[in-house]
Amino acid sequence: MEVSNKDINNLRLRKIKSIIFKAIVWLCGILTVGILVYILLFILIRGLPKINMEFLFGEYNSKNLSAFSSIVTTIEMIVISLLISVPIGVFCAIYLTEYSKRGNKAVKVIRLAVDTLAGIPSIIYGLFGMIFFVNVLGFRASVISGIGTISIMILPVIISSSEEAIKSVPDTYREGSYGLGATRLRTVFKIVLPTAIPGILAGVILAIGRIVGETAALIFTSGTNVMKEPTLNLFASQRTLAIHMYMLATEGLPHSKDMAFATGSILILIVFLINFATTKLAGRLGRLNDGK
Amino acid sequence: MDKINNLNYEFKGETIKMKKTKKLVGIITLVLMLSFVLMGCTQTDNKETPNNTENQNTPNNTNTEAPNFDSKKDITVVARDSASGTRGAFHEIMKIKVKEGDTEVDKLVVGALEFDGTDKVITAVEGDKYAIGYISLGSVSNRITAAKVDGVEPTVANVISGDYTVSRPFLLVTKGEESELVKDFIEFTQSKQGQDITNEMKFVGAAESPAEYAASGLSGTIKVAGSTSVTPLMEKLQEAYTALNPGVTFEMQSNGSSQGIKAAMDGSYDIGMSSRELKDEEASELNRHVLAIDGIAVIINNENPVNDLSSENITDIYTGEKTTWAEVQ
Amino acid sequence: MITNNRQSKSNETLMQAVFFMSALISVIAVLAICLFLLMRGIPAIGEIGFLDFIFSEKWGPTNTPASYGILSMIVGSIYVTAGAIVIGVPIGLLCAIFLAEFCPERLYKIVKPAVNLLAGIPSIIFGFFGMEIIVPFVREAYGGNGFSIMSSSIILGIMILPTIISISESSIRAVPESYKEGSYGVGATKEETVFKVVVPAAKSGIFTSIILGIGRAIGETMAVVMVAGNAVMPLSKIKLLKPIRTLTTNIVMEMSYASGLHEESLIATGVVLFVFIIILNTALSLIKARTNRN
Repeated sequence: MEVSNKDINNLRLRKIKSIIFKAIVWLCGILTVGILVYILLFILIRGLPKINMEFLFGEYNSKNLSAFSSIVTTIEMIVISLLISVPIGVFCAIYLTEYSKRGNKAVKVIRLAVDTLAGIPSIIYGLFGMIFFVNVLGFRASVISGIGTISIMILPVIISSSEEAIKSVPDTYREGSYGLGATRLRTVFKIVLPTAIPGILAGVILAIGRIVGETAALIFTSGTNVMKEPTLNLFASQRTLAIHMYMLATEGLPHSKDMAFATGSILILIVFLINFATTKLAGRLGRLNDGK
Repeated sequence: MDKINNLNYEFKGETIKMKKTKKLVGIITLVLMLSFVLMGCTQTDNKETPNNTENQNTPNNTNTEAPNFDSKKDITVVARDSASGTRGAFHEIMKIKVKEGDTEVDKLVVGALEFDGTDKVITAVEGDKYAIGYISLGSVSNRITAAKVDGVEPTVANVISGDYTVSRPFLLVTKGEESELVKDFIEFTQSKQGQDITNEMKFVGAAESPAEYAASGLSGTIKVAGSTSVTPLMEKLQEAYTALNPGVTFEMQSNGSSQGIKAAMDGSYDIGMSSRELKDEEASELNRHVLAIDGIAVIINNENPVNDLSSENITDIYTGEKTTWAEVQ
Repeated sequence: MITNNRQSKSNETLMQAVFFMSALISVIAVLAICLFLLMRGIPAIGEIGFLDFIFSEKWGPTNTPASYGILSMIVGSIYVTAGAIVIGVPIGLLCAIFLAEFCPERLYKIVKPAVNLLAGIPSIIFGFFGMEIIVPFVREAYGGNGFSIMSSSIILGIMILPTIISISESSIRAVPESYKEGSYGVGATKEETVFKVVVPAAKSGIFTSIILGIGRAIGETMAVVMVAGNAVMPLSKIKLLKPIRTLTTNIVMEMSYASGLHEESLIATGVVLFVFIIILNTALSLIKARTNRN
């Protein structure tokens, strides 16, 4: 009798423990969402009402701290650094998945390099960019120095997502292509890559997110200058949106803090868009794989 | 028949989808409401806390003027980063940076906050009742209070008359022979129009008898780098100048006085902006133009009952000799 | 037919070379980063003296004579990172458990994108949020002036959440169903199973997530510079509610005006940070190798 009583008590205790544990776990999940919503509301509530056409597309002057020029620079930087990094990254992924033999020494070294690049903090990229592009190559603080720095920075993102995407292409596709007498190269370009495109695109979008949000790597390479009107001059120093926000939060001009909120809202809207796009692509990729 | 069936089926699918989205929307609104409540809580908390401290403190602090202000608490000392010309000038004037023979030591108190921008200093002082900071007079706003120094109100008039002594020059520096364009721009900054803008920005124009400036019609690019304190004035001047000479564009780096001087010396920029006096070795290499005189305001929180500080007290606070507002009073 | 074949073969070799070259670029990039950092940083460390650089807490580059000791920043970086781990890991891990084991599917469709969104928010926004919300909160709730190790730790703790959550979640999901069934079989509740069987089984993935979190926290710059207060503190005066300067903020605060030995010493600060990152990366690959062996 006693033993079973103890057992019941024990069971009750275990149940209570379980409930407490479950409650804490739920709390942490809700807390995470809560923090996110708090940050978003904090920026958007104060920032969104401040966004108007003048701010988005007006001329930058001391009265109107317009983001137009920095938006154009951000887009310029995204386009050119993707043009540099995407081919290199995708080719690297092709080499790693399609052309290398198992246990190849070179592959090990390359993978180690990609992992290392992925772990380097952006301030180190900033220092490197400042030494190499700004000083050694003599580009000074300019958009081109920023592009050089950021292209290296997004390389690991593109390589690893492309590699994943290429790996997930079913082998039967390749076998079918070989069976029809296609060469390896033809198979890669006509069969494997087209199938892997959603995954590669997802990586590209992640890279865009990284470029848009980057400050530490760009502040010493592309500089903090802002033009009255946007230019596409690669050799001039120009700030991106994120640096625009940092400068507004630093400068102490009248209204600069409100405008920092507004710039923050634009950044958040872009991040929203990027996340939406990646989720959509990931969904497509998932269906594709299920469909095999 | 088949068609109708199909249609029906599709319709059903649609309603199921709609139900799902409805539920989703419901959950989203729930989460949103929850976080609103959370936010509301924190906000009311913030409002309540001062009230509570008020209630607790009033009986204890009968000797101070403000009931909300506990003058026994530590002063929060806020300084600029060492790149800043404002810091260079202020620390020199207030003898925080001490020269003894060959050595020169900045005795800024350990634990002083350092920020790389005027707005961050304002934000820090605005939010902290016990804080003290210093910024360019032109950036003073109602978010903070500019204290009197040795009984003198920090105003443009007092800077001009020389009564308010905490001031420093804004300099434009160039190296070697100036190009026609650079010369023309500097002429503009010294002209009547230029000095009017300067005074409008609450700085003190330095030119003795400014002449009227006539547009030169030159074109080209002028590269300017340097002091973050000079930047707002420089932006205004550039706007007025390009309005007169539409062919001219500017490229500006706002990155600190020392960097501006360095950039002018190595020739990577046409004009360096400095908000501190040049060092001897710099002065020997550069052409120096005084753009304006700027007062440095010592700023304190709006709730701080102290509004007059002697310069000895400021030095003591910044070097850590005095650590509470009670000692200053 | 033969020429065609030969052409396609030469094409094949050519493209293979192109692929290989592209793959080599990341190796070249890593080597270049190491080379240039060391080239500019090591001479500075030599000039200052290794011991004076690493083990001195005196940082006064604008004084004459100047002193360049970064011990205070090294310790600062470690403290702030440790704080971030203390805050971020429990919440992140429990949130990962929530996502993997307890979350109803409909709620999952909200929480998971929220975590991804959190990962995408630029660090400048975290910094701004920290300066406007966390700093006043710490000041009101705990005293001090708010710009402190604590505020930095909270901000960094939030910033590493998505890293911890997503990697831990996938490793928890990868635990084979049979483990759980075994546990249920001996009468354990779901919570006990998760806590005593699933989490231990997912240990290596969780460690990986923590190390990645450490890497992100120690390398973060722009968010920390806005909330840490950036004062160089002697070791004896470092406190939870006092301001702090980390390796990264030292670089970003002073680089814009530094010249000569001062600039080199900041690059050397970057080298020290780089060494930390290399150590973390090595730990990461060790874990990877161990899991692969198992």
